[in-house]
Amino acid sequence: MELEEMKASWEALSKKVEKQEQLTTQMIENMTTQNFKSRLNKIGNWELAGTMICYAGAAYLVISFNKISQVYVQVFAIICMAILFVLPIISLMFLRGMGNLNISEKSYAETITAYAGQKIRFQKFQKLNVLFTVCLMVMAMPVLMAIQGKDLGKVSYYWSVIFPVMLVVFLWNGLVGAPLLRPDA
Amino acid sequence: MDKKELFIKVIKENEGLIFKVTTLYTNSPEDRSDLSQEIIYQLWKSFGSFNEQSKLSTWMYRVALNTAIYHLKQNKRGIATTPIDIDALRFADEKDTEAEERIKMLYQHIQLLNLLEKGVILLYLEGKSHEEIAAIIGLSVTNVGTRISRIREKLKTQIVKTK
Repeated sequence: MELEEMKASWEALSKKVEKQEQLTTQMIENMTTQNFKSRLNKIGNWELAGTMICYAGAAYLVISFNKISQVYVQVFAIICMAILFVLPIISLMFLRGMGNLNISEKSYAETITAYAGQKIRFQKFQKLNVLFTVCLMVMAMPVLMAIQGKDLGKVSYYWSVIFPVMLVVFLWNGLVGAPLLRPDA
Repeated sequence: MDKKELFIKVIKENEGLIFKVTTLYTNSPEDRSDLSQEIIYQLWKSFGSFNEQSKLSTWMYRVALNTAIYHLKQNKRGIATTPIDIDALRFADEKDTEAEERIKMLYQHIQLLNLLEKGVILLYLEGKSHEEIAAIIGLSVTNVGTRISRIREKLKTQIVKTK
Protein backbone atom coordinates (compact mmCIF):
# COMPACT_ATOMS: atom_id res chain seq x y z
CA MET A 1 0.00 0.00 0.00
CA GLU A 2 1.46 3.33 -1.09
CA LEU A 3 1.11 6.55 0.90
CA GLU A 4 -1.51 7.80 -1.54
CA GLU A 5 -3.56 4.60 -1.09
CA MET A 6 -3.24 5.06 2.65
CA LYS A 7 -4.55 8.58 2.31
CA ALA A 8 -7.56 7.31 0.37
CA SER A 9 -8.27 4.71 3.07
CA TRP A 10 -7.88 7.38 5.74
CA GLU A 11 -10.33 9.65 3.96
CA ALA A 12 -12.85 6.80 3.84
CA LEU A 13 -12.32 6.26 7.56
CA SER A 14 -12.69 9.99 8.27
CA LYS A 15 -16.05 10.10 6.50
CA LYS A 16 -17.36 7.29 8.70
CA VAL A 17 -15.90 8.69 11.91
CA GLU A 18 -17.23 12.18 11.31
CA LYS A 19 -20.77 10.81 11.10
CA GLN A 20 -20.69 9.47 14.63
CA GLU A 21 -22.03 11.58 17.47
CA GLN A 22 -20.83 9.98 20.65
CA LEU A 23 -20.23 13.10 22.71
CA THR A 24 -23.35 14.63 24.22
CA THR A 25 -23.66 18.20 25.47
CA GLN A 26 -23.85 16.87 29.04
CA MET A 27 -20.63 14.86 28.63
CA ILE A 28 -18.73 17.87 27.29
CA GLU A 29 -20.13 20.09 30.06
CA ASN A 30 -18.92 17.59 32.67
CA MET A 31 -15.41 17.74 31.24
CA THR A 32 -15.36 21.53 31.46
CA THR A 33 -16.34 21.80 35.12
CA GLN A 34 -13.83 22.55 37.85
CA ASN A 35 -14.66 19.16 39.41
CA PHE A 36 -13.18 17.32 36.43
CA LYS A 37 -10.03 15.58 37.62
CA SER A 38 -7.29 15.95 35.08
CA ARG A 39 -5.05 12.89 35.18
CA LEU A 40 -2.04 14.64 33.71
CA ASN A 41 -0.77 16.12 36.96
CA LYS A 42 -2.55 13.81 39.34
CA ILE A 43 -0.51 12.32 42.16
CA GLY A 44 -1.32 8.65 42.65
CA ASN A 45 -2.22 6.90 45.88
CA TRP A 46 1.08 5.00 45.90
CA GLU A 47 3.10 8.21 45.72
CA LEU A 48 1.00 9.75 48.51
CA ALA A 49 1.35 6.63 50.67
CA GLY A 50 5.14 6.63 50.12
CA THR A 51 5.35 10.30 51.11
CA MET A 52 3.32 9.68 54.28
CA ILE A 53 5.58 6.76 55.28
CA CYS A 54 8.73 8.86 54.72
CA TYR A 55 7.34 11.76 56.75
CA ALA A 56 6.18 9.42 59.52
CA GLY A 57 9.72 8.00 59.65
CA ALA A 58 11.23 11.50 59.73
CA ALA A 59 8.80 12.54 62.49
CA TYR A 60 9.74 9.45 64.55
CA LEU A 61 13.44 10.35 64.27
CA VAL A 62 12.76 13.97 65.28
CA ILE A 63 10.74 12.89 68.34
CA SER A 64 13.30 10.26 69.38
CA PHE A 65 16.39 12.33 68.65
CA ASN A 66 17.10 13.12 72.34
CA LYS A 67 17.43 9.37 73.04
CA ILE A 68 20.58 9.28 70.89
CA SER A 69 23.73 10.14 72.82
CA GLN A 70 26.62 9.27 70.50
CA VAL A 71 27.63 12.08 68.13
CA TYR A 72 28.18 9.91 65.03
CA VAL A 73 24.74 8.31 65.48
CA GLN A 74 23.23 11.79 65.82
CA VAL A 75 24.87 12.75 62.51
CA PHE A 76 23.43 9.57 60.94
CA ALA A 77 19.98 10.48 62.31
CA ILE A 78 20.17 14.00 60.81
CA ILE A 79 21.18 12.60 57.41
CA CYS A 80 18.33 10.04 57.59
CA MET A 81 15.84 12.80 58.44
CA ALA A 82 17.10 14.92 55.52
CA ILE A 83 16.76 12.00 53.08
CA LEU A 84 13.29 11.11 54.34
CA PHE A 85 12.21 14.71 54.03
CA VAL A 86 13.81 15.66 50.70
CA LEU A 87 13.29 12.54 48.54
CA PRO A 88 9.47 12.61 48.55
CA ILE A 89 9.53 16.33 47.72
CA ILE A 90 11.76 15.74 44.67
CA SER A 91 9.63 12.77 43.66
CA LEU A 92 6.41 14.77 43.89
CA MET A 93 8.03 17.63 41.99
CA PHE A 94 8.70 15.24 39.11
CA LEU A 95 5.14 14.05 39.17
CA ARG A 96 3.76 17.57 39.31
CA GLY A 97 6.22 18.75 36.66
CA MET A 98 3.52 18.63 34.04
CA GLY A 99 1.29 20.98 36.03
CA ASN A 100 3.19 23.98 34.66
CA LEU A 101 2.94 22.89 31.04
CA ASN A 102 1.31 25.09 28.51
CA ILE A 103 -0.06 22.45 26.21
CA SER A 104 -1.65 24.90 23.77
CA GLU A 105 1.47 27.06 23.35
CA LYS A 106 4.12 24.44 22.71
CA SER A 107 4.50 22.82 19.32
CA TYR A 108 4.37 19.03 19.01
CA ALA A 109 8.14 18.82 18.44
CA GLU A 110 8.82 20.97 21.53
CA THR A 111 6.52 18.75 23.58
CA ILE A 112 8.33 15.60 22.42
CA THR A 113 11.68 17.18 23.39
CA ALA A 114 10.32 18.19 26.81
CA TYR A 115 8.85 14.70 27.25
CA ALA A 116 12.20 13.06 26.41
CA GLY A 117 14.04 15.46 28.73
CA GLN A 118 11.72 14.69 31.63
CA LYS A 119 12.13 10.99 31.02
CA ILE A 120 15.95 11.24 31.15
CA ARG A 121 15.85 13.39 34.31
CA PHE A 122 13.44 10.93 35.92
CA GLN A 123 15.76 8.01 35.14
CA LYS A 124 18.73 9.87 36.65
CA PHE A 125 16.67 10.68 39.72
CA GLN A 126 15.72 7.03 40.11
CA LYS A 127 19.39 6.02 40.13
CA LEU A 128 20.14 8.72 42.70
CA ASN A 129 17.12 7.55 44.68
CA VAL A 130 18.56 4.04 44.95
CA LEU A 131 21.89 5.43 46.21
CA PHE A 132 20.12 7.55 48.84
CA THR A 133 18.10 4.50 49.88
CA VAL A 134 21.37 2.57 50.34
CA CYS A 135 22.69 5.35 52.60
CA LEU A 136 19.40 5.45 54.47
CA MET A 137 19.34 1.72 55.11
CA VAL A 138 22.96 1.62 56.24
CA MET A 139 22.62 4.61 58.58
CA ALA A 140 19.14 3.82 59.89
CA MET A 141 20.27 0.63 61.64
CA PRO A 142 22.59 2.23 64.26
CA VAL A 143 20.07 5.09 64.69
CA LEU A 144 17.14 2.75 65.39
CA MET A 145 19.23 0.65 67.76
CA ALA A 146 20.36 3.73 69.66
CA ILE A 147 16.74 4.91 70.00
CA GLN A 148 15.81 1.50 71.47
CA GLY A 149 18.71 1.80 73.90
CA LYS A 150 20.74 -0.99 72.34
CA ASP A 151 24.44 -0.74 71.66
CA LEU A 152 25.33 -1.66 68.12
CA GLY A 153 28.81 -2.65 69.29
CA LYS A 154 27.28 -5.45 71.33
CA VAL A 155 25.44 -7.02 68.38
CA SER A 156 27.50 -10.04 67.36
CA TYR A 157 29.01 -9.90 63.91
CA TYR A 158 27.32 -6.57 63.07
CA TRP A 159 30.41 -4.77 61.76
CA SER A 160 32.22 -7.90 60.59
CA VAL A 161 29.35 -9.68 58.78
CA ILE A 162 25.92 -7.99 58.85
CA PHE A 163 27.05 -4.50 57.79
CA PRO A 164 29.29 -5.62 54.86
CA VAL A 165 26.62 -8.03 53.58
CA MET A 166 23.98 -5.30 53.79
CA LEU A 167 26.27 -2.89 51.93
CA VAL A 168 27.00 -5.39 49.16
CA VAL A 169 23.31 -6.21 48.74
CA PHE A 170 22.28 -2.56 48.52
CA LEU A 171 25.15 -1.58 46.24
CA TRP A 172 24.29 -4.45 43.94
CA ASN A 173 20.72 -3.25 43.99
CA GLY A 174 21.86 0.29 43.25
CA LEU A 175 24.07 -0.67 40.33
CA VAL A 176 22.17 -3.59 38.82
CA GLY A 177 18.64 -3.08 40.09
CA ALA A 178 18.30 0.63 39.28
CA PRO A 179 18.05 0.19 35.49
CA LEU A 180 15.21 -2.27 36.07
CA LEU A 181 13.23 0.47 37.80
CA ARG A 182 13.02 2.59 34.67
CA PRO A 183 9.39 3.26 33.63
CA ASP A 184 9.97 1.80 30.19
CA ALA A 185 11.95 -1.20 31.41
CA MET B 1 -23.92 32.30 22.27
CA ASP B 2 -21.80 32.20 25.43
CA LYS B 3 -18.28 30.78 25.71
CA LYS B 4 -19.34 27.33 26.91
CA GLU B 5 -22.02 26.92 24.25
CA LEU B 6 -19.52 27.92 21.59
CA PHE B 7 -16.99 25.44 22.99
CA ILE B 8 -19.54 22.60 22.99
CA LYS B 9 -20.43 23.42 19.37
CA VAL B 10 -16.72 23.39 18.39
CA ILE B 11 -16.13 20.03 20.12
CA LYS B 12 -19.20 18.44 18.54
CA GLU B 13 -18.15 19.64 15.11
CA ASN B 14 -14.64 18.23 15.61
CA GLU B 15 -15.47 14.99 17.39
CA GLY B 16 -13.86 13.05 14.55
CA LEU B 17 -10.53 14.83 15.07
CA ILE B 18 -10.45 13.86 18.75
CA PHE B 19 -11.52 10.31 17.93
CA LYS B 20 -8.74 9.83 15.35
CA VAL B 21 -6.01 11.21 17.63
CA THR B 22 -7.16 9.13 20.61
CA THR B 23 -7.40 5.96 18.54
CA LEU B 24 -3.88 6.42 17.22
CA TYR B 25 -2.29 7.05 20.63
CA THR B 26 -4.02 4.47 22.83
CA ASN B 27 -4.31 0.70 23.15
CA SER B 28 -7.73 0.14 24.71
CA PRO B 29 -11.23 1.63 24.78
CA GLU B 30 -10.67 2.73 28.42
CA ASP B 31 -7.47 4.53 27.51
CA ARG B 32 -9.16 6.09 24.51
CA SER B 33 -11.97 7.39 26.68
CA ASP B 34 -9.51 8.78 29.27
CA LEU B 35 -7.45 10.52 26.62
CA SER B 36 -10.55 11.89 24.92
CA GLN B 37 -11.74 13.44 28.21
CA GLU B 38 -8.29 14.82 28.91
CA ILE B 39 -8.09 16.43 25.45
CA ILE B 40 -11.48 18.08 25.85
CA TYR B 41 -10.49 19.32 29.32
CA GLN B 42 -7.19 20.76 28.00
CA LEU B 43 -9.00 22.36 25.05
CA TRP B 44 -11.46 23.97 27.45
CA LYS B 45 -8.61 25.23 29.66
CA SER B 46 -6.97 27.01 26.74
CA PHE B 47 -10.17 27.96 24.90
CA GLY B 48 -10.16 31.44 26.47
CA SER B 49 -6.65 32.14 25.27
CA PHE B 50 -7.19 30.66 21.82
CA ASN B 51 -5.80 33.12 19.34
CA GLU B 52 -8.27 33.38 16.48
CA GLN B 53 -5.48 34.45 14.15
CA SER B 54 -4.41 30.83 14.08
CA LYS B 55 -6.78 28.32 12.55
CA LEU B 56 -9.14 26.51 14.90
CA SER B 57 -8.02 23.12 13.61
CA THR B 58 -4.33 24.06 14.11
CA TRP B 59 -5.00 24.90 17.74
CA MET B 60 -7.10 21.75 18.25
CA TYR B 61 -4.53 19.41 16.71
CA ARG B 62 -1.73 21.04 18.71
CA VAL B 63 -3.57 20.59 22.03
CA ALA B 64 -4.79 17.08 21.16
CA LEU B 65 -1.35 15.81 20.05
CA ASN B 66 0.50 17.41 22.98
CA THR B 67 -2.02 16.00 25.44
CA ALA B 68 -1.59 12.55 23.86
CA ILE B 69 2.16 12.65 24.57
CA TYR B 70 1.68 13.55 28.22
CA HIS B 71 -1.05 10.96 28.52
CA LEU B 72 1.54 8.34 27.44
CA LYS B 73 3.85 9.59 30.17
CA GLN B 74 1.12 9.52 32.80
CA ASN B 75 0.14 5.97 31.93
CA LYS B 76 3.76 4.82 31.54
CA ARG B 77 2.50 2.54 28.80
CA GLY B 78 4.51 3.94 25.95
CA ILE B 79 3.29 4.41 22.43
CA ALA B 80 0.35 2.31 21.32
CA THR B 81 1.73 -0.66 19.46
CA THR B 82 -1.24 -2.95 19.10
CA PRO B 83 -3.56 -2.84 16.10
CA ILE B 84 -6.64 -0.73 16.42
CA ASP B 85 -9.86 -2.31 17.66
CA ILE B 86 -11.77 -2.04 14.42
CA ASP B 87 -15.16 -2.17 16.20
CA ALA B 88 -14.41 1.29 17.50
CA LEU B 89 -14.67 2.61 13.99
CA ARG B 90 -18.36 1.75 13.73
CA PHE B 91 -18.18 -0.27 10.54
CA ALA B 92 -21.02 -2.48 11.70
CA ASP B 93 -23.66 -0.64 9.68
CA GLU B 94 -21.93 -1.20 6.37
CA LYS B 95 -19.70 -4.24 6.49
CA ASP B 96 -16.74 -3.76 4.19
CA THR B 97 -14.08 -6.37 4.97
CA GLU B 98 -11.63 -5.00 2.45
CA ALA B 99 -11.85 -1.48 3.87
CA GLU B 100 -11.47 -2.85 7.40
CA GLU B 101 -8.35 -4.75 6.40
CA ARG B 102 -6.86 -1.68 4.72
CA ILE B 103 -7.52 0.46 7.81
CA LYS B 104 -6.08 -2.22 10.11
CA MET B 105 -2.98 -2.42 7.96
CA LEU B 106 -2.69 1.37 7.85
CA TYR B 107 -2.84 1.61 11.64
CA GLN B 108 -0.37 -1.21 12.09
CA HIS B 109 2.17 0.59 9.94
CA ILE B 110 1.58 3.97 11.60
CA GLN B 111 2.06 2.38 15.03
CA LEU B 112 5.59 1.42 14.03
CA LEU B 113 6.61 5.04 13.42
CA ASN B 114 8.21 7.19 16.11
CA LEU B 115 6.25 9.94 17.90
CA LEU B 116 7.31 12.77 15.57
CA GLU B 117 6.66 10.75 12.41
CA LYS B 118 3.32 9.63 13.82
CA GLY B 119 2.22 13.25 14.29
CA VAL B 120 3.42 14.26 10.82
CA ILE B 121 1.72 11.33 9.08
CA LEU B 122 -1.54 11.86 10.95
CA LEU B 123 -1.72 15.46 9.77
CA TYR B 124 -0.66 14.47 6.24
CA LEU B 125 -3.41 11.86 6.08
CA GLU B 126 -5.84 14.46 7.41
CA GLY B 127 -5.10 16.46 4.28
CA LYS B 128 -3.26 19.31 6.03
CA SER B 129 -0.95 21.48 3.93
CA HIS B 130 2.78 21.46 4.60
CA GLU B 131 2.41 24.96 6.11
CA GLU B 132 -0.25 23.77 8.56
CA ILE B 133 1.76 20.67 9.48
CA ALA B 134 4.79 22.90 10.06
CA ALA B 135 2.75 25.20 12.34
CA ILE B 136 1.38 22.32 14.43
CA ILE B 137 4.51 20.20 14.61
CA GLY B 138 6.99 23.06 14.95
CA LEU B 139 9.20 22.23 11.97
CA SER B 140 10.06 24.29 8.89
CA VAL B 141 7.96 23.73 5.77
CA THR B 142 10.99 22.25 3.97
CA ASN B 143 11.63 19.92 6.87
CA VAL B 144 8.01 18.74 6.75
CA GLY B 145 8.45 17.83 3.06
CA THR B 146 11.65 15.94 3.83
CA ARG B 147 10.03 14.11 6.75
CA ILE B 148 7.06 13.04 4.61
CA SER B 149 9.42 11.67 1.95
CA ARG B 150 11.33 9.73 4.61
CA ILE B 151 8.13 8.37 6.12
CA ARG B 152 7.00 7.32 2.63
CA GLU B 153 10.24 5.34 2.21
CA LYS B 154 9.99 3.89 5.72
CA LEU B 155 6.41 2.75 5.12
CA LYS B 156 7.38 1.19 1.79
CA THR B 157 10.14 -0.80 3.51
CA GLN B 158 7.78 -1.84 6.31
CA ILE B 159 5.14 -3.01 3.82
CA VAL B 160 7.70 -4.99 1.81
CA LYS B 161 8.92 -6.65 5.03
CA THR B 162 5.42 -7.67 6.10
CA LYS B 163 4.50 -9.12 2.67
